[in-house]
Amino acid sequence: MSLKLIHSPIKALVWKVEVEAGQPIEEYDPLIILESMKTEIPVDSSLSGIVREVLVKEGDSVEENQPLVSIEAAL
Amino acid sequence: MSWEKEVEELNRLKAMTAAMGGEAALERRRSSGRLNVRERIEKLVDADSFREVGALTGRPEFDEGGRVSNLAPGNLIFGRAKIDSRPVCVAGDDYSVVGSAGGATVPGKFAMCEKMANELRIPLVRLLESTGGNSRSLEQLGRTYIPQMEGWETVVENMGTIPVVALGLGPVAGIGAAKMVFSHYAVMVRERSHMFMAGPPLVARLGEVVTKEELGGAELQARAGGVDEVVDTEEEAFACAKRFLSYLPSSVYELAERTVPQDDPHRKDEWLIKAVPQERRRVYDMRRIIKSVFDSGSFMEMTQRYGASVITGLARLDGWPVAVMASDPYRYGGAWTAESNAKVERFVDFANTFHLPVVNLVDVPGFLIGRDAEMAGTIRSGARALSSVFQAKVPWCTVLVRKVFGVAGASHANHARYHYRFSWPSGDWGSIPVEGGVASAYRDEIAKAEDPDAMLSLIEARLNQVRSPFRAAMAFDCEDIIDPRETRPLLCEFANNVAKLREPGPVATALRP
Repeated sequence: MSLKLIHSPIKALVWKVEVEAGQPIEEYDPLIILESMKTEIPVDSSLSGIVREVLVKEGDSVEENQPLVSIEAAL
Repeated sequence: MSWEKEVEELNRLKAMTAAMGGEAALERRRSSGRLNVRERIEKLVDADSFREVGALTGRPEFDEGGRVSNLAPGNLIFGRAKIDSRPVCVAGDDYSVVGSAGGATVPGKFAMCEKMANELRIPLVRLLESTGGNSRSLEQLGRTYIPQMEGWETVVENMGTIPVVALGLGPVAGIGAAKMVFSHYAVMVRERSHMFMAGPPLVARLGEVVTKEELGGAELQARAGGVDEVVDTEEEAFACAKRFLSYLPSSVYELAERTVPQDDPHRKDEWLIKAVPQERRRVYDMRRIIKSVFDSGSFMEMTQRYGASVITGLARLDGWPVAVMASDPYRYGGAWTAESNAKVERFVDFANTFHLPVVNLVDVPGFLIGRDAEMAGTIRSGARALSSVFQAKVPWCTVLVRKVFGVAGASHANHARYHYRFSWPSGDWGSIPVEGGVASAYRDEIAKAEDPDAMLSLIEARLNQVRSPFRAAMAFDCEDIIDPRETRPLLCEFANNVAKLREPGPVATALRP
């Protein structure tokens, strides 16, 4: 079992959380939508698997490289 | 009388330097999967094209009869060669010679190499792997010395004279790191190359315990803007160097050559009409737009991990090499950060230095705002970026893809020049966006309203009506609004129109690293 963290590419606000713990997801599925400079910036999953933990909530302010979601890779 | 004997001796001595740091040192490299410096040169340049300069340099030992019994080569090998049939200068650190550290340095060789490339006006490729200064050499010398950068007056001048490529193929510390960044294009090999001013042992003395990967790994340096590209193998690094040089003239005294066009200049991708979402808050794939409008397969992105809200690279239009700048809405909506500003400044100065026409695909909501952005000195670095745009003399074409706001947006071109400019129907511009500016500009009106939120919406709706780019075009504020599918034909026309306007020669504003 391997856990992978999905990080924020930029400093931004968490506008929407699109997934919840336990949810199966595919590669490229949007996990979080950030907001910066009036733009909605989706953060997609880089792998297929199961969402283990969502580490942020809507309205949070996140730094560049901050972990957003942990994902358990599909076998 | 013939000089046969002397030529034999010459060949004997050359064989000694060609043996580099000796079989044991070379075997250590082989077993760790690293090429030696001569293998590197061989893989980089055209077959049999390398002509070494200073092949005899080294520290000789003599036998009792005064004959050279051993010749320990210096740690820098350089010479002339060809890449894709064009003359270049190639210089490689020989790490098998006592770690390529200062002790095995042959005085004058580095400076002469830089000078050769400069005076012959040919590109320079540095193959770097060295550990920089070494305290052991002080004991050998019997004294300390005031550091001075021998030959660096030429290194600095080369930034405005010839294309310089630096490949980090192993550790590059201290002066080696400086040789990396004194280039127009620097590449590091992942996990093999580490670049830092001083390595982990020295840093540990200051209380920071880090691995060399944590301190100066390829990903870190690419993210920090120290290098432009990260690859997995040395061979890939050589391929990057060759590809980069293929877009450039041999020096600023020449013009980049057109290659035989491989793509239809009139090609119109249907997809472009829906590339930008109608919803202004949504992102889209600018790289796909770039791939669509430039010659197929010709886009080479540079410096991707740094200042990522601006995409920079080289490409071709109907065979003509051009410099490409574009916004990436995925990063801060395309806003210019302090890093993006530094990237723009360096890139525009680079394009101007080598007379590459610039194509700028714009979606800039402004500079990144907020306290962090202020603390990062965004406005000053932004002013430098703007200066580079206004000082550039190369032909310039702008495509307004979406947002053009504020000072950063206004920096999309030098307004005092002819506006070679097109807008897509998605063009959206102003001093500040309606969404952000209404609350402050109409503060009193909104405060006095019975329902402030409704009043805000009402005013926004009013302003959105005048937001259509067609209104600006009717006032000739925007010269041309086009069907996005027309972009490639128009850009190819631009490249053909301006090819003759490129002027060879050194520029007043050559870039600093």
